[in-house]
Parts: sequence; C-alpha cells; structure tokens
Amino acid sequence: MDKILKVAQREYLETVKTKVFILSVLFMPIFMVVLMFIMGQVQKSALTGPRPAKEIAVTDLSNEVSEELRRAFDRHNASNPQRQIILTMYDADRPGLDAHMDEMKDKVRRDELDGYLVIARDVIKGEGTSNLYMSARNVTDFQLFSEVQRFVYDAVVNTRIKLHDLSPELIAELRRGVRLEQVDVSAKGEKKRETMIVLMVPFFFLFLMFVGVSGTSQGMLTSVIEEKNSRVMEVLLSALSPFQLMAGKIVGLAAIGLTVIGVWALAAYGAAASGGMGDIVSPGILGYFIVYYVLGFLLMASMLAAIGSACNTLREAQTLTGPVMMMFVVPMVAWFYIVQRPEEPVAVALSFIPPLTPMIMILRIAAVPDLSRLQIFASILLLAVSVPVVMWASAKIFRTGVLMYGKPPSLRELLRWMRYK
Amino acid sequence: MSHWGPRDTTMDALVIENVSKSFGAVRAVDDLSVRVPAGSIYGFLGPNGAGKTTTLRMVMDIICPDSGRIQILSETSGGQSKSKVGYMPEERGLYRKMKVRAILSYLGAIKGMGRGELALEIPKWLDAVGLGEWADKTVEGLSRGMQQKLQFVATAINDPDILILDEPFAGLDPVNLDLLKEIMLRMRDEGKTVVLSTHVMDQAERLCDFILLINKGKKVIDGTLDQIRSRYDSDVVSVELEGDTSFITDLPIVKSATRAGRRLEIALNENADTQELLQALAGRARVRAFEVKVPSLHEIFVDLAGENDG
Repeated sequence: MDKILKVAQREYLETVKTKVFILSVLFMPIFMVVLMFIMGQVQKSALTGPRPAKEIAVTDLSNEVSEELRRAFDRHNASNPQRQIILTMYDADRPGLDAHMDEMKDKVRRDELDGYLVIARDVIKGEGTSNLYMSARNVTDFQLFSEVQRFVYDAVVNTRIKLHDLSPELIAELRRGVRLEQVDVSAKGEKKRETMIVLMVPFFFLFLMFVGVSGTSQGMLTSVIEEKNSRVMEVLLSALSPFQLMAGKIVGLAAIGLTVIGVWALAAYGAAASGGMGDIVSPGILGYFIVYYVLGFLLMASMLAAIGSACNTLREAQTLTGPVMMMFVVPMVAWFYIVQRPEEPVAVALSFIPPLTPMIMILRIAAVPDLSRLQIFASILLLAVSVPVVMWASAKIFRTGVLMYGKPPSLRELLRWMRYK
Repeated sequence: MSHWGPRDTTMDALVIENVSKSFGAVRAVDDLSVRVPAGSIYGFLGPNGAGKTTTLRMVMDIICPDSGRIQILSETSGGQSKSKVGYMPEERGLYRKMKVRAILSYLGAIKGMGRGELALEIPKWLDAVGLGEWADKTVEGLSRGMQQKLQFVATAINDPDILILDEPFAGLDPVNLDLLKEIMLRMRDEGKTVVLSTHVMDQAERLCDFILLINKGKKVIDGTLDQIRSRYDSDVVSVELEGDTSFITDLPIVKSATRAGRRLEIALNENADTQELLQALAGRARVRAFEVKVPSLHEIFVDLAGENDG
C-alpha cells in the first residue's frame, strides 16, 4: 500500500507541477467566463442594441391592412430610435404588378432592400401565405423576421377588430398578458426554476464527469506508454509488482482528475453564487458525483492501462481506444434527450451499461432531484461489481503487456495474456 | 577460492532449480539449475538469445517461470526480498523529464528507503560516480555515459544484498567500465553478491569468481573459472625446441604434434602430466619455450556451443 501511494504521489506531482497543467486548469474557467460574457453581450445587442436602419418594401395584395401595418411600424420606430425599420408601401392595384414585384425581389437580391413583404390577398380570412423576401445574406437575421412577423400579425388582427366594429381599447384590455412561471415543488421548499438552468446544470455535471473520466484516463495511456518508451518500466518492476504500479497510477490520476474537477466546480459555484443562484445544486448530488466519478474512473483507467501496456506509441493505442472513446460520445449526444425524459426506458437502459453509467446517472440525478433510489443503488452496485472484474483482467494484461515491444497484439492475444499465470 | 568452503545452501544468495520458460513455441530457458554463493561475483555468459535476460527477469519475478523454483536471499522470489535486491535491466531507462535527485528519491522510496536514509545516500553515491554537480539537472540533460552511471546508482542506492546486472558493461567507455568494476569488487568484498550477464567473455574472465555458460536456454557448464579451465587445459602444450623433434610423436604420453610456425603444438593423452613431457624434452633437445595452453572462456564456449549444436 505504501508503494502504491509512492507511485501515486509521483504521478500526481509530476503532472500537477507542469506549467501546461496549471495553465489548462486555470484557462478553462477563465475561458468559460469570457465566453459567457461575450455571448451575453452579443445576445443583448442583437435584441435591443443599436442597429442600422432596415429598409422594407411592402405590397399589400389584400388592400386592407396597410393602414394598421403602417401604425405598427410607426409604434416600433417611436420606441426604438436606434432600431428603425423604414417602410415603403407600394400600391397593389398599379398596372404591371408582376413586373414591379420581380423588380422589388431583384432589389432585395442586390441588397438595395433588406426585405420585401408581400401580404396575401385573403390574409383577413386567414387564408394564403404572406411572404417576406430576404437575400441570402440576411436570411439568418431572425430578429428582423420575427419583428416583421409580429407587426403583420398585429396589423391583421387590428384590422379584423375594426371590421367587426369592436373597440381596439377593449380588445387591448381583453388581450392583456398572463405571466406564467415554472415552480419546482420537488426539492426542499418551492423555488423558481428557469428552463435554461434546468437544462444547463445537468449538462455541467455531465461535462465535469466527461472531462474527469475520459480526459484524465487518457493520462493513463500517455503515462504507461512513456514508461514503456523510456524503458524505465523494467526498473520500476524490479521494485514494484505490476499491480502496485498500475494501482498507484490509477490513484494518482484519480487525484489529478479530482483536482481539476474541484477547481472548475469551485469556479462554477463562485459564478453561480455571485449570480444569486448558489442554491441551484443540492449538496447530495456532489456526494453522488464523487461516488460515480471514482467508480467510473477506476473502470476507464484500468481499461486504458491495459491498452497502454500493450502498445508502444500513442498512435497504436488510439486505434485500440477508439471504440472505448466512442462510448463517451453517447451521453454527450443524448444529454438533451435524457434531461427532458430522464425516466423513460432509454435513459434507464443507458444507465446500466457500465462505462456509460456514471455520465448518464449524474445527468439524470441532476435533472430529477428525487430519482428512484433503487436505480441509483443498483447502478452503483453494478459499477462496484464491474470495477474489480475489469481491474483484475487489466492487471493480467498489464503485467504481460508492459514488457512486450514490437507489434501491438490482437484482441485474441490480449485474451490469452489474461490466462497467463 | 577456498573461502567459500563446502557447499551449504544457506550460503547461497540465489538458487535456481530446474527452471523452464517458453514463449509460444520458443523454449527460452530449459531446465536450468544454478547456485550462486553469497559474497561472489557470478557471471551468466552466453551469446545473444541464450536466455540470460529471461532468467534474470524470472529471478526478479518480473515474469513467472513455467516450472521450477527460484529462491533469492533465502526467500522464494516475489516476497519482501525485492527491497534487498538491486536490478539493472538490459533495457536501460529513466524518466527523462525528472531531476537526478528526484528520480533517485523516487526509486529509493519504492524500494522502501526512508527520507533520512535517502538524504544521506543520494549525495554519497552521486559523488562516488562523479555526478555530484548534476543532482538538480534533468535526466535528458545528461550524456549517455552519465545516464549509465545514474542507472547504476539507481540500482545500488538501497544498499542491496544482491545485485542483478543485465549486460552492465554495454555502452560504457573504458574509464567508466573500470569505475563500475571497482564498485562491484568493493561490494563483493563487503560480502554482497553480484550476478551479471554478459556476452563479452573476456570481461567476465577477469572479474567473475563463478561462471555459468548458457546457450539456447540450457546450461553448458558452470563452476569457478579454474574448475572450468581444469576440464579443458593441460591437453595442449606449445613448445619451441632446437634440434631434432621427430622423437616427440613416439613418446607414450603424446597423442599428436602439429607444427605452427616456429612452435610445435603437442596434444597429450588424457591424464598425462605436462611436467613429464618437460622432463622428456629437456633430456633430448634444447627447450627455448614451454607453455601450457590455457583455453580462454571464448575458446571453451565456442567449443561447447558447437558441440551442443551437434
């Protein structure tokens, strides 16, 4: 045990002391904060910030909504002096209408106009489709599209109201908004949950688990291959048993992973707390996180130790680790689905595939605060049983692999190594 | 060489009994038995691929024998004895990015040395091999020769009772070679045991108390250098004579005589005494030179390995 800790200590210190490690650990939270700040600013300026005036031409084929449309745009321009939309109305009864419409579309194409709106003939009856023609350059300007959409809708509804001889004031009164907020009653006390945060917290935990397990266990591959390449392996094996060496490396790397996760989690907590959301994560989930992390890491790291021991270069190793790493893509791709349907059979089934278990389970626990205890304990039990089995097999491969140089072994050879005394 | 006295198994630092190891269809070590007396320098000699490294790895419990028994320092190998053994593998290697002092601390620590002990031993050893000023440099900054010396220090830092050195002379310049031999002899004099493998016969001839010749995984011969030689010497005498030499082939003890330049190589019958030949010659001719040919290990080895190939 003492020797295992000595190996772990070296593994930990030799990694943590490097500048690359320190920079990459610190860089990530700083990068995230800067990225979030920039994205927030961009989004804010896209929604309400200043924008060059947009020019839109309109042909109202119904000949009925022009007046209300003009009013809707005027209201917008009055309250958004920095986001003007200049409207030019064209008569739908003019001769050569088709040629005129083609000319307008050409102007849009040549970027002389930002948009050309054609209101359907039977828009009041709710039939036909109105079109907003935009050039390819502007077609992703959802902001402009949604503004125009809103104004057309308002104009059509207001015209209908007038046609029915109703008072627009009465209608405005009747249409006054209703506030709806989601309230979470499952946790202690009632608290408001914003949809975005409900989605992002599980993702954050998934991300930490992903980096912690897959990122750090990659370190196992590098470390074993380095020792093989520098031929220090046999020197070590004269003082240590292969199992002690492997176990020491696993412990050391697990500690490195926990360090990285700890720093990032603290940074995230600090950011959340400063935003008044310090309580969005319950302490219970941290306990589960550590349990799943440790078990998941042991599983991955022992598999990668075995693979690393059998290879001489990272390239060789990567072909063998490819299928293993593919497993990690599954939760990353499926997270959105699972967070929204955390208790459906797909999520439950994925929870019981050992390499996936830690990531899927932490995702579900973060999404559903009162997830079935039975499932949680069953999944932990499954991991607790798989870990010793995988470690045993890996240790067998490891002790043969570390002294093998030359061609990387086939899967059948790896299985044979397991049976060696 | 009488100080080893009669064979007593408690005096053996290393016992290998009927050990075999195969890799697939290749029989790397075949029913090998050796006893290494404590306090000796024992050389495992043989050509490349003879099974030396495999044997030493089995001694170190890095690989397991298929059959047979290995006992090191009166313990079955694999036990706590590892901290009493220093092993230098044929494939040398150290962590390239680590500092000299740090690497010795680490290797010492996993061999069970305490902090205080390390603080004392590391500077002592580094000074002994002339690496004192390099303690805080990284390994990759050292020259090849320095790395070799550092590797040896890493092997011996824990003051082991037995040193297992696989090809210790490979890649050393003459100065460092002598330094290494000196340290080995000193350790032997302190009562420690040194087991080394080499394919350079004349190195072993000058250094080893005992020798094992191994070829294709099998023992060819073992014993002290004198014992091995005594089985092969005394058969050939090289002489330079003045006068008629035709009488020689008629002597009853002589098997044959062949001329080699000015000299005559006389092969004697089994159990014949070389002194008897000298007396016979002195009476009949003028003896200018008389030399009992001692076969070198090299010759013995080539001879035996050839026979084995048969």
